[in-house]
Amino acid sequence: MFERINFPMSRVFAAVIPFLLAAFGVLLANFPVSFLGGILPSPLLALMPVYFWCLVRPDLMPPGAAFAIGILEDVFSGGPPGIWALSFVASYALVDRQRDAFAGLSGIGAILGFAAAMLTASGTAYVVMSIYHNHMMPLAPIVLQVAVSVLFYIPVVPVLVLVHRRLVGPLRSDF
Amino acid sequence: MANGTWKIARNRGSAQLPLAIFAVLAIIVVLVGRAQSSLFDRARTTFTDWTAPLLQSVSEPVDGVSRWFGSIGTIFVVYRENLKLKEENAKLRQWQSAALVLEDRIKRYQLLLNAVVDPSLDRITARVIGRESKPFLETMILNAGKSQGVRSGQAVVDEHAIIGRIFLAGERSSWVILLTDLNSRIPVVIRPGNIQAIMAGDNSNAPTLETLAQGAQLREGMQVLTSGDGGLLPPGLAVGVLIRDGGRMRVALLSDANTSDDVQVIKYQAAPETTPTPSLNDLPAASLPPPQPHMPASDNTTATQPVEPEPAPFKPSSTKKNESNSGPAAATEQSVPAEDPSAEDERD
Repeated sequence: MFERINFPMSRVFAAVIPFLLAAFGVLLANFPVSFLGGILPSPLLALMPVYFWCLVRPDLMPPGAAFAIGILEDVFSGGPPGIWALSFVASYALVDRQRDAFAGLSGIGAILGFAAAMLTASGTAYVVMSIYHNHMMPLAPIVLQVAVSVLFYIPVVPVLVLVHRRLVGPLRSDF
Repeated sequence: MANGTWKIARNRGSAQLPLAIFAVLAIIVVLVGRAQSSLFDRARTTFTDWTAPLLQSVSEPVDGVSRWFGSIGTIFVVYRENLKLKEENAKLRQWQSAALVLEDRIKRYQLLLNAVVDPSLDRITARVIGRESKPFLETMILNAGKSQGVRSGQAVVDEHAIIGRIFLAGERSSWVILLTDLNSRIPVVIRPGNIQAIMAGDNSNAPTLETLAQGAQLREGMQVLTSGDGGLLPPGLAVGVLIRDGGRMRVALLSDANTSDDVQVIKYQAAPETTPTPSLNDLPAASLPPPQPHMPASDNTTATQPVEPEPAPFKPSSTKKNESNSGPAAATEQSVPAEDPSAEDERD
């Protein structure tokens, strides 16, 4: 199933896999059917590929891609335009500035790294929404979403690793 | 996890400029979106229209599973719940008969007073095919859209009370903003006392009250209904009852957005407010004595010369049924006979 791809078209396809996965995460997270009856908010699945490839292959996840995924999240989440676009760019900026620190993390540390990125994105969204509505938003829903997203990152990260090694991996070059 | 195993990029500085550019771009989108909130509406409705059949087929088993999980806890209280429901049902039957008697009495009073009857409300029954609970958004998606007559702003009710209103209508699907959503603001009236307020959602289960009149006395258990101010929502829809939450009052909603499967969209349009058309009797010139035949009439005076009005015959109010629907105009006209001494005689 995960045979190595060697011909050029497949290389192009493999190069857009991170973006496609993030876009798929947007659709999946915003699919309006809840298995938990709406008790818990859906995780921010789109941020996972953004964080992962921003860390390991920033050339495949440039700031423009993070911005575009944020716009997609804005479109499908139904919220005010631009909120998640700005949040994703803010989160990307954090990972970009602290890449060495984040890349050195493993195990629980890697999860905490994603938690930091998630906190940055959600915090930005919270602040912008509070300004947008001229009053402080309730904190509990956003904290709950951060918690759910971080929990979901644990099973998702092996999938991302697998995709990277089997599909995106052949495109790796020396930096 | 495995982050440490990857060889990473070292040219960190290269992303600084694009990052700054996209950050500025994102801020521009936020500002433009603030001014033009419907920026992405078309994309959203198109996507929902496309996925509506899929959503419908997926939501049914998922809702079934969710309901099954939710009902596990109630198995142990079924017997007690049943007794309670029977008792409640008996009470409700008494209330129903009382309500029917009162409804009949109200109709007779309306007939006697020649009151403007409430407009009948057309309803569209729709199925809930999706629910979204986001940190900043509480919505549901219905399988009815513009092709079924659904329009933005219409009220959505379940079997108990109002649940929200349509904020985005596609061709075959529509989005409902729930009363609990942060962006929800609806005008309500609190009874008894007819206290006007704005009910605002804050993503909690019980919305808060804003813009209350000064000195308004609120008590737990008071009823909250839609006031109909603004003409978007019909007046008199049940919303909930007041409950105390710490130092402030909140509204415990009668509707339950999490369990509602079928809802109704209310097609309501308030009668447009029209300014009364002045009749000749209302003009001050009508009370002037008729013009003398020998008075020379210039062009200007001819243009402004009032036509001598026909004496308005007194009509009983029942013959003005259609006129009474025109609101303020009818009130103006009904006040004329009161000035008439003959009318006073009749009144006496």
